[in-house]
Amino acid sequence: MWDKEKIKELQKAKENWEKKCLGLALDDRSEQRERFLTDIGLAIERIYTPIDLQQINFEYEDLGFPGQYPFTRGITPLMHRNEPWIIACYSGFGEPQICNERYKKLIEWGVDKIVMAVDLPTQVGYDSDHIMAKGEVGRVGVAIDTLRDMEILFDDIPLNKLKRVGMLAFSFGPIALSLFIALGEKQGLKPSDFVVELQNDILEDFVARGTYIFPIRPSVRVATDVVGYCASNAPHWYPLCLQANHLNASGTGSTKATAFAIADGVCYINHLLEKGYKIDEIAPLISMFLDERSDFFIAICNFRAARRVWAKIMKEKMKAQDPKSLALKIAAHSHGGETLLEPINNIVRITLATLAYVLGGVQVLSNASYDEPLGTPTEDAAKIAVRTQQILAYELGITNTIDPLGGSYFIERLTTQIEKQIYEEFLRVEAMGGAIAAIEKGYYLSAMTEGANRRQREFEKGERVSIGVNKYRTESKIPFGAFRIDPAIEQKQIERLNRVKKERNGKTVRETLEFVREVARGDRNLIPPILEAVRAYATMGEICDVLREVFGEYQAKEKYFGG
Amino acid sequence: MVGKVGLDGHEVGARVVAKALADAGMEVIYTGLRQTPEMIVRTAIEEGVDLIGISILSGAHMTLLPEIIRLLGDYKANDIHFIVGGIIPAEDIPVIKQIGVREVFLPETPTSVIVDFVKNLIK
Repeated sequence: MWDKEKIKELQKAKENWEKKCLGLALDDRSEQRERFLTDIGLAIERIYTPIDLQQINFEYEDLGFPGQYPFTRGITPLMHRNEPWIIACYSGFGEPQICNERYKKLIEWGVDKIVMAVDLPTQVGYDSDHIMAKGEVGRVGVAIDTLRDMEILFDDIPLNKLKRVGMLAFSFGPIALSLFIALGEKQGLKPSDFVVELQNDILEDFVARGTYIFPIRPSVRVATDVVGYCASNAPHWYPLCLQANHLNASGTGSTKATAFAIADGVCYINHLLEKGYKIDEIAPLISMFLDERSDFFIAICNFRAARRVWAKIMKEKMKAQDPKSLALKIAAHSHGGETLLEPINNIVRITLATLAYVLGGVQVLSNASYDEPLGTPTEDAAKIAVRTQQILAYELGITNTIDPLGGSYFIERLTTQIEKQIYEEFLRVEAMGGAIAAIEKGYYLSAMTEGANRRQREFEKGERVSIGVNKYRTESKIPFGAFRIDPAIEQKQIERLNRVKKERNGKTVRETLEFVREVARGDRNLIPPILEAVRAYATMGEICDVLREVFGEYQAKEKYFGG
Repeated sequence: MVGKVGLDGHEVGARVVAKALADAGMEVIYTGLRQTPEMIVRTAIEEGVDLIGISILSGAHMTLLPEIIRLLGDYKANDIHFIVGGIIPAEDIPVIKQIGVREVFLPETPTSVIVDFVKNLIK
């Protein structure tokens, strides 16, 4: 692509510039930092030129065209020119009927996809009346104990009214899937009528989120059964979204997070291949949730590099052939270092984070609301978040061309550097024996804590700037959040749970739970028995307790410091 | 002792603070996740700690923190200092401090502030 002679000339011209122009400038001015180091350990150079792109093959291998291997520039030939990414909102709080009102508003405002935020007891498989649920019901998400709660939550909201529906289900994937299938049935819908997307990536819970229930290997079985079931019964659903975002947020840095997420994906895929599924039956159902919060350009290049790395690994290592297996679907949630002080400023941060992900070629995007550090998002703040996405989608010509930053010397160089980092980290994890081994050896955790400590140091030294907090600080009073969860809903939820238990057929519930137990003990797919139990109004806790009985519970090791 | 009470699984902040305290020369125990108020208090008494630091981000603080205070009273262990960190709405902070929590540290607090506070407290 680049004429060798022209590059030599350019090299000379650059040296000339450095001596004369740059040299003069540096005589009486300096740069703000000695090295412009980023969160992922890469230093950003002063200027990028074709000299930096000598290794990159623009025509085919490295860049190519959108919709063709290796998909660097985008996974389809039309991208956002066809229609914008899926505009999603992550939402959920309190009891189902309160939450139902917010969901109706979201749909009214034009949201394409709702991802249900569920409360912590639900996330770890406890009913609202469990002793560990005390004080937690309906707080970080909506309380879901039975199918009845889903019916109330989606009252007057047919599942096919949205382009996609999802639930923040990490450790209870089979139950989440079953709840959607059973709810669809109540609404007169078949799985082919709507689209469900689940996170269902339990591996990263052992490091970053802490909402595991069962030990690692049974958890992988639980998660992969969901994927296997969808491969056979609902191949247009997305039952596995590999999570890099929690890993990055917890400290690993975005490139390690991406590598770990890919390694987790390979682990799940291998599990399914061993069960007899074919790679091209499985990989198209997998998407990835990427994240980078401290650098606008790394956020973009992380996406482009991730697509290239995934494509290469799927093709060369996993022997996938279907383009749908090779093209990585990317989801994201815009966060930008939101602050408690002067929270309105977060609108700016979130907007720019959203823009970065759009420029990176995202498929499904939700974004934080500015008041999230203060508590559950208020209606006004949630609306601004939705409008932010819509403004980026339709105003200012941002989506008129595919991969607008492609070809920028900086972007291509950065993409290649990040790709190298991701791939090397992935190989490191594979050399340890794969994702499960790396987690058990504490490798993911040490990457997380190293990064978290480094970031804290940088923040305290002022190297990691937070405007209004550690630079240009004028406020010290943290505003009150406007939205409070009424503690009385805990009791109301428990009363509803008790009513459901009274009204359902106890015998059917017992029989279905027995069937769950039987299947859990063997190696058949867990979804059919769990679906039966969910239809019979078995509770989240009852189903999980049966699984706890068979699989056991994960015991995290305590850690002692110092002394 | 740095602990996580309730179901909240985000422990990065707790680990960062635990390390900062340990680096400052203190003997630190980190309990890990999913401790009940009972487990927190019993571990604190068994290990003979001077201070309990609870990290909580789930919004369940108004249920779980008073429960810890109550148990400390029941076990006659009120002399153990109690600090809290995490996501606590600004309007709840005075209420928490009134029931016996010595200080609440929100995100963006430098660890040096926490370390100095603890050092002064335990003196």
